[in-house]
Amino acid sequence: MEQEEIIKMLRHIMKQSSHEKVDWDTVTRESTIDSLGFDSLSILDLVYDIQTTCHVAFEAEELIGIKTVGELATFLKSKMAK
Amino acid sequence: MAERRKVVVTGIGAITPLGLDEATFWRNMLSGVCGVRTIRSFDTKDYKTTVGGEVDSEALLALLQARGMVSSDRTVDMALLASVQALEQAGMLRGGPPYSPAEIATIFGTGAGASHSLYNTFASFSQKGVRGMRPTSVPRCMANSITAQISMKFRLTGPNYVIVSACTSSTVAIGIAFRMIRDGYADKVLCGGADAAFDPFVFGGWNNLGVMSRNPDPARACRPFDSARDGCVLGEGAGALLLESLDSAVARSAHIRAEICGYGESSDAEHMTSPSAEGQARCMKDALASAGITPDQIGFINAHGTGTRANDECESRSIRMALGKAADGIPVGANKSFFGHLLGACGVIEFIATILGLENRKVPPNLNLDNPDPACSLQLVGKNAMELASPVAMKNSFGFGGNNTVLIAKRWEG
Repeated sequence: MEQEEIIKMLRHIMKQSSHEKVDWDTVTRESTIDSLGFDSLSILDLVYDIQTTCHVAFEAEELIGIKTVGELATFLKSKMAK
Repeated sequence: MAERRKVVVTGIGAITPLGLDEATFWRNMLSGVCGVRTIRSFDTKDYKTTVGGEVDSEALLALLQARGMVSSDRTVDMALLASVQALEQAGMLRGGPPYSPAEIATIFGTGAGASHSLYNTFASFSQKGVRGMRPTSVPRCMANSITAQISMKFRLTGPNYVIVSACTSSTVAIGIAFRMIRDGYADKVLCGGADAAFDPFVFGGWNNLGVMSRNPDPARACRPFDSARDGCVLGEGAGALLLESLDSAVARSAHIRAEICGYGESSDAEHMTSPSAEGQARCMKDALASAGITPDQIGFINAHGTGTRANDECESRSIRMALGKAADGIPVGANKSFFGHLLGACGVIEFIATILGLENRKVPPNLNLDNPDPACSLQLVGKNAMELASPVAMKNSFGFGGNNTVLIAKRWEG
């Protein structure tokens, strides 16, 4: 899956998991995950939803250091390639 | 003891099968519209009961979206929407969202709590084991997620907790709020209740208990005090009230909807599901004493009136035990014929109907009271609304576990 496709999929997943009203059409690779309504609790749901949708397994701790949607997409692309 | 303060209602919110705001709810009641329908939330082919008072899901979602809220759990969603209505009406939402913090307590009642989240979590666990459970299962499923979410959403910084006492839950929540304000522990409390019974599991439990009507005709199934009643009909919804001290309401020129002047409670201490007339009567007397009034001052009794053989007959006896000769002249209504039994939310929604009756000087009608049961010897209200002669009304709520609760409200005449 190409990175743009992954970002499109992430937009869809995040929309379901976020507790904030966000204009998801304006979300880009530079958008920070914090700005999309995820906190220390709801990020756990996001990880669960990504794993369920993408059929990949990883620990939430592996996301430490990832700040933007683009960085998350790159991380997922590497996981899906394995 | 410190001087007891007067307690008034300054905000009302109602999410019900009869409408998603108090005005629609009340208009439909007076027009005799029934909110019970054939169940659409899930397939009922294996169930004995096929009707219920469901809240319109599409309208609920639209209302959430219009408020900029994201759906989390059906019970919580309905509680949040009822709360925003009550707080907004009371003029207590400032600067938001995000809102400015306000020193308001949040106390809600519920029977089954965040039951849709529990059902979904258990279904996923059954299919996939522990890996199928969301990491946020605990905060999603805990019963107090209702008041926690309300407190966080509207930044209400007083205490928040949930009362769980079956069908009396929201009446207890209002009663506790009343006492907190009356006795000086709080100036403002957002109180009410919420329950969402229409998932295959919770509804299945009620189906198998054998207390629900098997009448497949939605508009005719719930028949409180009627000779042909054959059980209760479930409903879902949420109601919220902003209660505050009279001093607080007057100081900020708030519009006062009613005064709450009494609250009583008791336990039967006899049986898990069979009601006791003695226990209920003690509770009504307790409420009258709390309000400092005599039975002849009551202008309307809004009964628990579930439509089961046991409840309606028992409640008829307990009303006579508690009120004596005065019961001959007091109109008795039962709102569940309009929207079913809202379980932990029934008390607050029916108390809202009571307040609206006081304001509008009307006793709302009873649907389906075609042949009053001779064993229920009361002045039962029929299909037409009545004029309310006195400015005081009593609201009964009784629950499994032998819980009895009674609220007394008075029209606010300034």
